Amino acid sequence: MALTGDEAVGHLLRRAGFGLAPDDAPLWRKLGYRGAVRRLLDELDEPLPPEPPDFDPYEPGTIQQVWLDRMAGGKAPLAEKLAFFWHGHFATSNVKIQEPALMWRQYRLFRSKGAGRFDALVLDVSRDVAMIRWLDGNANRKGQANENYARELQELFTLGIGNYTETDIREIARAFTGWGSRHHDFVFSDEFHDHGEKTVHGKTGDLDGTDVVAILTALPACRAFIATKLLRFFSHGDPTPGEVAEIAEVLEATGGDIRSALFAMFLSPSFLDEKRLRCLVKGPVEVCVGGLRGTGIRETPLWVHGSLERMGQILFRPPSVKGWPDGTAWLTSAAVVERMKAARRLAQMKPSAAAWIVDIAFDGQAPPELRKALEAAAGEERVALALASPEYQLA
Amino acid sequence: MLNRRELLQRGLAFGSVLALPRLAWAQGAAKEPGARTLVVLHLNGGNDGLNTVIPYADPMYRILRPGLAVDDGQVRKIDKALGLHPSLAGFETLWGKERLAIVNGVGYPNPDYSHFRATEIYYSAEPDKSPTDGWLGRALEKHPKEKPLRAVALEKERPLSLAGSVQGVVSLTDFRQFALPQGTEGTLAMYEGLKDDPGPSGAVARRALEAFAVAKRIAALQPIRNGLYGPLGEDLAKALALLKSDLDLEVIHLSFGGFDTHANQAGQHNQLLAQAGNNLRAFQEQIETLGLGDRVVTMVFSEFGRRARENLSGGTDHGSAYPCFVIGEGVKPGMHGAQPSLEDLDNDNLRFTTDFRRLYASLLKDFLQVDPKPVVGDFEPLGLLA
Repeated sequence: MALTGDEAVGHLLRRAGFGLAPDDAPLWRKLGYRGAVRRLLDELDEPLPPEPPDFDPYEPGTIQQVWLDRMAGGKAPLAEKLAFFWHGHFATSNVKIQEPALMWRQYRLFRSKGAGRFDALVLDVSRDVAMIRWLDGNANRKGQANENYARELQELFTLGIGNYTETDIREIARAFTGWGSRHHDFVFSDEFHDHGEKTVHGKTGDLDGTDVVAILTALPACRAFIATKLLRFFSHGDPTPGEVAEIAEVLEATGGDIRSALFAMFLSPSFLDEKRLRCLVKGPVEVCVGGLRGTGIRETPLWVHGSLERMGQILFRPPSVKGWPDGTAWLTSAAVVERMKAARRLAQMKPSAAAWIVDIAFDGQAPPELRKALEAAAGEERVALALASPEYQLA
Repeated sequence: MLNRRELLQRGLAFGSVLALPRLAWAQGAAKEPGARTLVVLHLNGGNDGLNTVIPYADPMYRILRPGLAVDDGQVRKIDKALGLHPSLAGFETLWGKERLAIVNGVGYPNPDYSHFRATEIYYSAEPDKSPTDGWLGRALEKHPKEKPLRAVALEKERPLSLAGSVQGVVSLTDFRQFALPQGTEGTLAMYEGLKDDPGPSGAVARRALEAFAVAKRIAALQPIRNGLYGPLGEDLAKALALLKSDLDLEVIHLSFGGFDTHANQAGQHNQLLAQAGNNLRAFQEQIETLGLGDRVVTMVFSEFGRRARENLSGGTDHGSAYPCFVIGEGVKPGMHGAQPSLEDLDNDNLRFTTDFRRLYASLLKDFLQVDPKPVVGDFEPLGLLA
């Protein structure tokens, strides 16, 4: 059975955004499923919203606040969700960078180019100053290559483990020698660049980073890797070979166009299969932002920062270059306690959300047991119960 | 009809119980055998190794330390060449009871003398790169377990050593942060009601119920302070409570600061070593009293030792090689690793004899039973555990 009507639209917005809000739900529902998909994709072209007037990108709390506000209240849910996807994919942490302004610049890259061609994105990421500092680009010099970026570029960003050799790592590191940064700018230092011959995945020549990105992103393994990652994030945890092939083919036909891949994924019958309804465990950002949206709170309260930390996810501070885990791994002891506390705080802030929370959070079709429990409660209790329920932890 | 708890308590093994081994664990039934906890204590600031394990028999010691050398009569001599600082009565007891392994000359090539960078190196076990995760985080990651809590740092922030793409690692300063908010009973009933659901909701409900059960147990804990004192004692008292409560933690990480003794070192260092020695002795005694002796090993390290030659302020500057300690019932007691030469110095610093990754490799392989190679690289484990 396929999802239809409001349930399909709600499902789409939980995956391609951060859930519905009381003031935009009627609009999305009126568009219908295909209309909503079209609208989400069109909004990817909108220019980036301006930063708030008092924006101070030197404060780590500020960049998280502004991004959360955009997720909670912004007009381009998919654009923010996709930037969030890339942030987890090219996971870079301010714990090491210690310059929120550079982290913010990296976010702007994901936000503005994340729906374009994947090869162009990887090239931009390879020249991104936060990434260069994160994976030791400045230490990668002719004669003393540092393999940090070369390894992660293949293992985590483009191919996945098992699709490259140690020789590829060494040769790619040489190709990226001299790609460094000075202050906040990318610099290429010819004196540090190794102009010798390198062989990467069977291609030989005086290769540099640009050549390497072209070589890696043209490999079938790269398309399958990115297709799998997109499916796991947006659709479900265990993509079949057929589903992966479908998205990989779109990537191949379009030169790696991410927007086309998303379009194909959202319109694929597998995305709307009823088995996909609430089958992904929401991460902390999805829980908090979704809770804000569902209750109709459009600006992120300060306590959310601490709440996210205790749930295990701070924007711009992924735990390692491998990014955040997914699935039930989120449900640690500290995290579940915090999820309950956050539900309670949201309910206290907006008890009036009792009037709409079942409609907004569960598309008006909560499972019978949950529905009964919610109808038996009122006001703050109903809101807290809805947001703390097992079903709400799922997208 | 018996409920599940009663069944578990009676240890009855049949289908429905076997299908829920993790739930069984969460409800306090018999834990899986071999569950072990590594306690890791960082002596923050760079501990003066030469005045901790003292090469009293080497005349160079007194030449390098004209002001700070410990009088020969006061050294707690434990073998022909080395002795413990007089404040380390606690370690002397542990030594006598065969609970103490001393690893001499710990370090790595091209040592770094910055607190920040050297700490990063010890926490990550990656001296050659700028790390993004830690050795313990990687160890947990390479050894995945479906558990709601795997490691606790008794610190405000999660240390780099526990960083990695693994959840179930928390920093904890107060057990009460695990208390559920008022009015959560109705919510828990919803999770209970869904736990047999075959779909994702059931998976979430079961996992969350385990996590709630653990949280509830932590929130109810009280530090076990017997014989423990001071800030280190308070953290160890919390560690004891966690160990006693059978939470099946793999790692507990603690930090004890103040070892950066650039000036007027003698008095401070006395105090610090006394606190470390006395508290760690009491900690080990409590562990054994609680019957956990075969499950807990404590490793004590620092980001570096201090300069062999004392400075002109009655202190010592940042150095390199130094001794680490491994404490527990299961350790191979005695000296491991060669004491660095006091003659052949590198700019007044000791040359390391024992790569710290060999120490880590031993703890991983012999104690936590994790393949050390993907975690710390290809280093021969020291064989610190019997």
